[in-house]
Amino acid sequence: MVARGPVARIEGAVYTVGSIGAAVTKPVVRRVHSTALATLDVVLESRLAGDLVERVAASPLAVRALSGALEGPLVEAVARDLVRYRVAERLLSEGLVEQATARVLEGPELERVVETALESPAVERLMESAIESRLFDQAVVHLLESDDLWLLVEEIARSPAVTAAITRQSAGFADQVAGGVRVRSSRADAWVEQRARRLLRRRPAPPPAPEPP
Amino acid sequence: MSLAADRTGAARRPAVVAEPAVAIGATAYVGLVTRVIAFAVDAAVIQFVAIAVAGTFALILSVVSVPDELDPVIVAVGGAAYLLWLVGYFVIFWSATGQTPGNRLLQIRVCRAGDGATPSAGAALTRFAALILAALPLFLGFVPILLDDRRRGAHDMLAGTVVVAAPQRTDQ
Repeated sequence: MVARGPVARIEGAVYTVGSIGAAVTKPVVRRVHSTALATLDVVLESRLAGDLVERVAASPLAVRALSGALEGPLVEAVARDLVRYRVAERLLSEGLVEQATARVLEGPELERVVETALESPAVERLMESAIESRLFDQAVVHLLESDDLWLLVEEIARSPAVTAAITRQSAGFADQVAGGVRVRSSRADAWVEQRARRLLRRRPAPPPAPEPP
Repeated sequence: MSLAADRTGAARRPAVVAEPAVAIGATAYVGLVTRVIAFAVDAAVIQFVAIAVAGTFALILSVVSVPDELDPVIVAVGGAAYLLWLVGYFVIFWSATGQTPGNRLLQIRVCRAGDGATPSAGAALTRFAALILAALPLFLGFVPILLDDRRRGAHDMLAGTVVVAAPQRTDQ
């Protein structure tokens, strides 16, 4: 057995003391740790904590802090992290975007927004610009060249409403022609009668009675 | 309201009045030209139907072989059918509503001179026969239309009828 030097004896003693200390303090530390966490839970669940948070959030200090954060490089850092940690893909894979979209589409907010947009002068100007633009002319040309348009025209022309309208127009035209013939024939009646009576030296015909209404 | 009494002595009978009778002061009697046009329309209708039917039968007979001895019979039957069609056309329309299709187009109506009612079938048949007779002497039977105050032709006088204006009601 080799005799140990003084340094080695000191190191051994320190190690032993440390081990004993750790063995003694570990349970104490664990106990303190759990107590601290329990205390924190109680504090967080307390009404006081809620009031404190509300006051801080409503305070001008919070507003200044938020403005300072947004003004600073925080926004860019968040954007970079959103990309780095693929937040968008994760949201998409969990269907959150679909849920949010469904909520927007089903809610009354979208309808209100669309109604407001349609009534706004800006949208009106936008529509006018779109109609006057070259893009609209190209769209019209393209539409005229497409076969679908003429299929649609044919379908409309064959529809019962259109054929009924054409029939009514034709009947109206025939009525108009017949009416014109009646008027002219009535005048011709009087003219022929007048000539015949004059030729045969008969008294003039009595004035014609007005046609019944 | 009624028309002036007709002197033909035609028996009166209750009849369905297609149009209300009007007083003499307000009756618009129809003259020669209008009646000729209406008659021309009726003639076109009659001839169109006759030609269509005759054409159909001719087509059938062109396929079905018929002995030559039957040709006169076929012609006679065809002639009789045409005559029946011609007489029936006028008699039925005059006695039913007083208006043939040609009359309806020109908005005129044949009615009894006494009360403005629709003529009976007998009166309609008499009128048609008188119409033929009036046309025989180079249509001289129609000259009284130009001279009579009520614009009646010889056939109207014989049948006790007049022809008046009958505008269509527009109460749709």
